[in-house]
Amino acid sequence: MNSIHNFPKLLLPLLAAVILLLAPACQRDKQKFNTDNLPPIKGEVMAKLTVAPEVPPRIQAKTNTKVIVHLEIVEQVMRLADGVEYNFWTFGGVVPGKFIRVRQGDLVEFHLHNHPDNMFPHNIDLHAVTGPGGGAEATLIAPGKSAQFSFRALNEGLYVYHCATAPVGMHIANGMYGLILVEPLAGMSPVDHEFYVMQSEFYTSGRFGERGLQEFDMQKALDENPDYVVMNGAVGASAGENAMQVKVGETVRLFLGNGGPNLVSSFHAIGEIFDKVYIEGGSMYTENVQTTLIPAGGSAIVEFKCEVPGTLHLVDHSIFRAFNKGAIAQIKVIGEENHDVFSGKEKETVYLPEGSAIQKVGERKDASEEVVSERTLEERLEKGESLYKQNCLACHMDQGKGVIGVFPPLNNSDFLQARDDKGFGIIVNGLQGEIVVNGTSYNNIMPAMHMSDDNIASVMTYIFTELNNGGGLINAADVRQWREKNK
Amino acid sequence: MKIIGFYKLLIIGLLCLPGLKSSGQQQDMAFIEGGTYKPFVKGDKEEVPVNAFWMDKKAVTNTDYQRFVEANPQWSKENAKRIFADSNYLYHWPDSGLSQHSGPPDGAPVVNVSWFAAKAYCEWQNKRLPKLHEWEFVARAFPKNDVSADSLQRIISDWYSNRLKHDFLVGSVYQNTYGVWDMHGLVWEWVYDFNSIVMNNDGRNQEEMPEGLFCGSASLNANDATDYAAFVRFAFRTSLKGNYNLRKLGFRCAK
Ligand code: HEC
Ligand SMILES: [Cu+2]
Repeated sequence: MNSIHNFPKLLLPLLAAVILLLAPACQRDKQKFNTDNLPPIKGEVMAKLTVAPEVPPRIQAKTNTKVIVHLEIVEQVMRLADGVEYNFWTFGGVVPGKFIRVRQGDLVEFHLHNHPDNMFPHNIDLHAVTGPGGGAEATLIAPGKSAQFSFRALNEGLYVYHCATAPVGMHIANGMYGLILVEPLAGMSPVDHEFYVMQSEFYTSGRFGERGLQEFDMQKALDENPDYVVMNGAVGASAGENAMQVKVGETVRLFLGNGGPNLVSSFHAIGEIFDKVYIEGGSMYTENVQTTLIPAGGSAIVEFKCEVPGTLHLVDHSIFRAFNKGAIAQIKVIGEENHDVFSGKEKETVYLPEGSAIQKVGERKDASEEVVSERTLEERLEKGESLYKQNCLACHMDQGKGVIGVFPPLNNSDFLQARDDKGFGIIVNGLQGEIVVNGTSYNNIMPAMHMSDDNIASVMTYIFTELNNGGGLINAADVRQWREKNK
Repeated sequence: MKIIGFYKLLIIGLLCLPGLKSSGQQQDMAFIEGGTYKPFVKGDKEEVPVNAFWMDKKAVTNTDYQRFVEANPQWSKENAKRIFADSNYLYHWPDSGLSQHSGPPDGAPVVNVSWFAAKAYCEWQNKRLPKLHEWEFVARAFPKNDVSADSLQRIISDWYSNRLKHDFLVGSVYQNTYGVWDMHGLVWEWVYDFNSIVMNNDGRNQEEMPEGLFCGSASLNANDATDYAAFVRFAFRTSLKGNYNLRKLGFRCAK
């Protein structure tokens, strides 16, 4: 295993040299340590660990100190998505594991506790450790046991820690990872907010959204085909009501990690540009970045200023993971609009290229004016189901279950049932702004959909009947009448 | 004449079965015919032989263990020596010892017993702890009521995922084709040579952690790198020492 850890270390200087030659990137002044003459340690502090998205405050002592860390491993059933549970193996009772913050040169006295009610042995490999297995060998413990070891935090950076007990993949797949920050003794530059966001995947026996207590699926893990890709351990963990909050004009630093076990994240914030990215959580930064790669078992630090109000969506830009598997976290930016930076929608116009071959003489221009003979309930349900799959499923999910905090449910939606337009207006005009559906608030944008009266009638018949909104056949004529009235 | 002779032979034959039918415990034990099998962790040989032996059909219960403690007071909760059983020994029993009114129900497997205690119990019964290969050999057998690899896998992964619902009594999870109960799904079980994969000469000296089952090297020594259930068992055993007492670790005997 030593060879596995050494391999990238050998490559790193080479890689860094190549990067330096190719791209003029910036670098913080970096203190180098002579391990024969380490700075003295004065006093000790008990580390304060935090649950994502919180980040612990920086240790204030002026000199290097002994930092005592207690981390408890807990196996417990928790929510993975609405109605979906999983037996998580955790560092600190949460996924991702609790955030640890120390400074370069500090002596870390690490205590790992395996709760006596646990069923499995565990250990910890901290990538911030210089030493065999990153601590793994020193910490393998049975349930009901504790292990202790100490290390000097020699290199600054943002590091992943994880369990490395065989089968390693399964321990990580069950939730055993987190981040440890080794910051410069003098601290990092001040910002208004620091947050902790870690991406990871879950391989469950049931498909995305399938209800009940799910079990780990080894075959899907081997195939690297997860059902869930999530930010901070569960679908919607840091979105909707749990979104991070900042004010316009404030600066934000995100400590980002990727627990894997398999996927590399193309990390992106919809609606923001990263002013600075500390590549792979190291000392080198680059500026003005749209999307940064975070390797499995790796990290990145990004910084930006929130200039305009709105909701930032933190996603894996391998985008099906975001919209179909859960990889979305949100930052709500509250405050005054700044139209010099972003105008909002100024105008919406019909786009109709001149001489377009699509518009044929004699054919009606507006889909809504199309004359159709009405259909039976069975026909509408059948047509409606396939229309739903083509037009709505990507956001509202299978069976209209939605994604909590992001896409509202269409299944038994009190919001839809209370409207007297049967939802036609939402399809035709789109919808944006704050709404409350079945007790959860949403503040997002649904684009207007260009669908014919006939198709709207079918898809809404399907949604009312099959997705538990009270049922009933809707005719194209109903949609046409509504359009007349709301011209 | 001829017929009587035949029966005589048969009876003599039965009596002479190599001492196996004699101890009176046999209805509680299953005869395992032995054979060879591919162990999970590769040694020098692909296949290892397992000789015929008897295995307890069920894990040892609190009630069974209570009788042992009564007959061997040096193994009571208060008397047991810490080098043989750490402070969690019989953690789930009242300090005064098990009585009819307190403690776990009859038929629940005894847990919080050390390897030394388990070994002493089996010896008191004129038995011994099963060897690792024996235990693994029996544990591979499929469930009797649904003889398939899938149904065995189901039990294991349900157990690991905390989905298995049963009464936590011996004989409540499943019986395999040997007639042995609950090899998976109830409690982990001690085996005689639990640390054989890492053992130096002295089983109690485990300062040296095994190289074999961490990180990348794990998959190099395994016969089937996708058998995660076996990885879990071997890693579990590696994390043990002989005087440990765990809430989910019990045992059964063999002979
Ligand atoms: C691109 C993603 C997207 C697609 C595609 C989409 N929606 Fe929506 N939908 C949303 C969002 C986001 C909201 C909430 C808007 C808000 O917060 O104001 C919403 C809200 C709704 C609501 C009201 C809230 C509720 O849960 O009852 C209805 C009804 C609805 N959509 C129907 C549909 C139908 C029917 C289709 C397909 C024809 C569709 N949507 C396609 C994103 C989408
Ligand atoms: Cu683990």
